[in-house]
Amino acid sequence: MSALAANRFPRSGYVTRGSSSGLAEVLDVLLDKGLVIDIFLRVSLVGIELLTVDARIVIASVDTYLRFAEAVNRLDIGESSSEGLPQLIEDMTQDGASSKTKGILEGAKESLFGSSGDDEDENEDESSDGRSSRRSRSSSGSSRRSSSSSRSRSGSSSRGRS
Amino acid sequence: MAQYVYGIVEATATKPRGRGIGGAPVRLVVGDDDVAALVSEIGRDRLRMGRDEVLTHARVLDRALARGPVLPMRFGVVMDDAKEVRDRLLEEHGSELRTQLTEMEGKVEVRIRAAYDEQSLLREIMRERPEIASLRTAVAGRPEHAAYYDRIRLGELVAAAVERHREADARAIIEALGNHALAVEAGEPHHERIVVQASFLVERSRLAEFNAKVDEVAEAYGGQIRFKYTGPLPPHSFVELTEKV
Repeated sequence: MSALAANRFPRSGYVTRGSSSGLAEVLDVLLDKGLVIDIFLRVSLVGIELLTVDARIVIASVDTYLRFAEAVNRLDIGESSSEGLPQLIEDMTQDGASSKTKGILEGAKESLFGSSGDDEDENEDESSDGRSSRRSRSSSGSSRRSSSSSRSRSGSSSRGRS
Repeated sequence: MAQYVYGIVEATATKPRGRGIGGAPVRLVVGDDDVAALVSEIGRDRLRMGRDEVLTHARVLDRALARGPVLPMRFGVVMDDAKEVRDRLLEEHGSELRTQLTEMEGKVEVRIRAAYDEQSLLREIMRERPEIASLRTAVAGRPEHAAYYDRIRLGELVAAAVERHREADARAIIEALGNHALAVEAGEPHHERIVVQASFLVERSRLAEFNAKVDEVAEAYGGQIRFKYTGPLPPHSFVELTEKV
């Protein structure tokens, strides 16, 4: 039926669809969001690094500047974009082994969890970076209130960014 | 027996199928207000959890979502026993849970992560900013120690340009997609290449329209930004339990 074809998603080659049972994509919502109640027994989470790092500090560092300088240095300005599958796609798919950039949590998460069939050592401490989960949660927690009150009319007012 | 709690569903929800954490069957604990908790038994000695348990939690919720609205618990909520679940969770927060469950009927969460193809972005910055391109030329080929401060300066200019693009692109993407959603929860990107890391609350009836917009926005960036789409998910980012005093 043409209706089925029309509903095929994604159509764009620039969109990848992650499975909702793939851990890397849902990890932050599972661990940070959802209902919490204080009367509960503590679960200890092993094999999953939960560090809190202020991502902004990392972004503004000299290391970052040098990395950018290096990156533009290596650019092939005259050529068209034909670098094959960008590093980016690898970072965004569940291929832990290819997280070469010591980025921040993204790299750490992908390398910790890889694809669902992986048995990689989850205690590897390959990155000292972590997640500013608490920070983003609290900053977006308050903004969620404003988005929920403006829920009847979506649009730019529902953008819950602080 | 301790109860691992996955989420809240309608009391009249069809009996959940399948196994939960540790292979224990998923059951309902029913409260008043027509809400019920999705739980499974867990031994107190089994409270060290890892990746498998997180995946199981996600899977149980995914299955529940196929049958009706579900308010996800955060991972790792274990209560003393079924009575605690009934009294301290369902009864104490009953009306709040009821309200949210009703609200979440027919709604799902979609998670969007958008990240730059760095080379493509840097090339555009070189085109837009000839002074950065000139500095690049000046720096290239000089030995590292000789041009150290120039490199830092170059990197600093590039970083600032990247940040400006990021802010503009994030705003544009969130606005474009937000127009087809009921609410947005945007987190701070954790990496300089991440443009958007956001959850959208979307009505199921408008999901196809939302998805089409994702395609459209992605095409508009022509590969400079790549999108990762996860969903439909239960509305993790749009539920909340307020503290009872």
